[in-house]
Amino acid sequence: MERHRHPVAAIAGKTMRYLIVLFIIMSLNFLLPRLMPGDPIMNILGEEAYYGSAQVLQELKAQHGLDQPLYTQYIRYFGSFFQGDWGYSFLCMRPVLEAVSLHLRWTLALVLPAIFLGALLAAVAGALAAWYRQSKLDVGLSAFFLFCYSMPTYWLAMLLLFIFGFQLGWFPLGKVTGGDASGLAYLLDVGWHMFLPVGLLVVSKAAYDFLVVRNSVVSIYGEDYVLMAQAKGLSQMAVLFKHALRNAMAPLVTVTAIQFGAILSGALMVEIVFSWPGMGTLIFEAIGARDYPVLQGAFFMIAVCMLTANYIADMIYVWLDPRTR
Amino acid sequence: MHEMARLWHVVKRNKARTAGIAILALFAFFAVFATWIAPHDPWQFGRAFLSPSSTNLLGTNDVGQDIFSELLYGARISLTVGFAAGLLAVTLGTLIGLLAGFRKGFLDNLLMSVTDVFLVIPTLPLAILVSVYLGPSMWNIVMVIGLLGWPATTRVIRSQVLSVRESGYVESARALGAGDFWIMRHHVLPNVLPLVIAKFVLTVAMAMLMEASLSFLGLGDPIDKSWGMMLRYAFLRGGFVGGMWWWYVPPGLAIGLCILGLTLISYSIEERSDPRLKRALDR
Repeated sequence: MERHRHPVAAIAGKTMRYLIVLFIIMSLNFLLPRLMPGDPIMNILGEEAYYGSAQVLQELKAQHGLDQPLYTQYIRYFGSFFQGDWGYSFLCMRPVLEAVSLHLRWTLALVLPAIFLGALLAAVAGALAAWYRQSKLDVGLSAFFLFCYSMPTYWLAMLLLFIFGFQLGWFPLGKVTGGDASGLAYLLDVGWHMFLPVGLLVVSKAAYDFLVVRNSVVSIYGEDYVLMAQAKGLSQMAVLFKHALRNAMAPLVTVTAIQFGAILSGALMVEIVFSWPGMGTLIFEAIGARDYPVLQGAFFMIAVCMLTANYIADMIYVWLDPRTR
Repeated sequence: MHEMARLWHVVKRNKARTAGIAILALFAFFAVFATWIAPHDPWQFGRAFLSPSSTNLLGTNDVGQDIFSELLYGARISLTVGFAAGLLAVTLGTLIGLLAGFRKGFLDNLLMSVTDVFLVIPTLPLAILVSVYLGPSMWNIVMVIGLLGWPATTRVIRSQVLSVRESGYVESARALGAGDFWIMRHHVLPNVLPLVIAKFVLTVAMAMLMEASLSFLGLGDPIDKSWGMMLRYAFLRGGFVGGMWWWYVPPGLAIGLCILGLTLISYSIEERSDPRLKRALDR
């Protein structure tokens, strides 16, 4: 166990750690194209970016400082990185940072609601399953979430789109909006387009959390303070959602932080099926076009999201920890 | 008859694990005997976009290859990648975890810092980046997943080693003059083994899912028959838009069933090695 520290010291320590991880990820981004097989200039600019003679190649190399020693390149890399120069995407015909930021918004529009609603769904379903354990409800919920947990999310996306899009025609076949709406109508249209992908991600997020909540509520069943609450005459539901569920909060935060990467990866794949213009679709197209700068930028941006999620989870711990209050 | 009754009792008590093992055994059977049980050569071109029939149980794809045969051969790639990558990741994770747990101090701190870094690096995007540079190949995917998948195992093994090495019996063994290696072999390893197996099973599931994702994204070897690749072609070449569910439903279901089987096995191992959890769940 870690010794108890003053919350400010704990936060400072964590922050330092995350900055180091960020530095390592940036270094990885610098080293990968230079260490991997193939010509570094192509690895850095992307396969389609280079046409021309050996002389053009030399000029490009000089222009990007690739004829310099590695440590000079390294310093230059960090310099331009912080100035927002992440390279140029020939696929999107705009700077990488701009392309990645544009797509990131749409990915977050799927992932953030999915995380909150998914955790909520898991909390309610997990608590009910634990309370009525070994009942038909418990078995049914467990089986349902185990199924959703096991099946590849993008495959479920294909099924949903096939059934509710192609067959029943209740939902659009992809993209963000039908096009010609504005104002409130636009928002409603986007919401309609979001419904299937977000719904799917909510259920798959809940599938990760369900057992955690269920087991943590089961483990406090029969504890003195729960008996006390029941003896006070609180209703079943009040006991369940006020006392039992509070116990599941910390594990829920943990599992959200740990599984954030999995949810994000799931969202990236689901986007491709729904032609949702987020990072997943961007990555899919960049792979096809061998647009390496975009893939690097996307990797870095997703890493920043992961770090942020873990950082927030750490802050919530500090806040949840009764010793720091 | 008595033997059968006893077997039935064991099966009933470990329903989840039995189901998990049965599912995996089925797919392992497909993988090993694909050459004999597949009705067609899955690389053989023929008439495209055929619906399911008695000759082509699941129809044919865009170049007329038999989808059912593809499905059977797909078990080979998925299971091979899953188990090879899982083995690599868990071996690395266990060794690093043992080392960190046993050598407190500087080495432990260093190894754990590295582990923490790896834990927050997004695996799929990094795997995409590396595979794009390395080129499409099954073994590249194994290597990438294997080298990225170890940190979760390391964390668990290390904490288990720490608790075992502080226990009374290890202390007495040490007092009797037992060396690090002896203690590791006789006390630590047997204690962490169930955990290692549970983590291995989960890592295999993770690796299979990741292989399918990478293949779906177009980073697998296009010649190989894998489930992810089948999903990719069904999605890109008209199977999905054309409503040919017999093309894309079976490979996705196969991936999901394998992961389901592995998850069931890992739950039952974890439950067995953690009696507190079992008691809590039985309450």
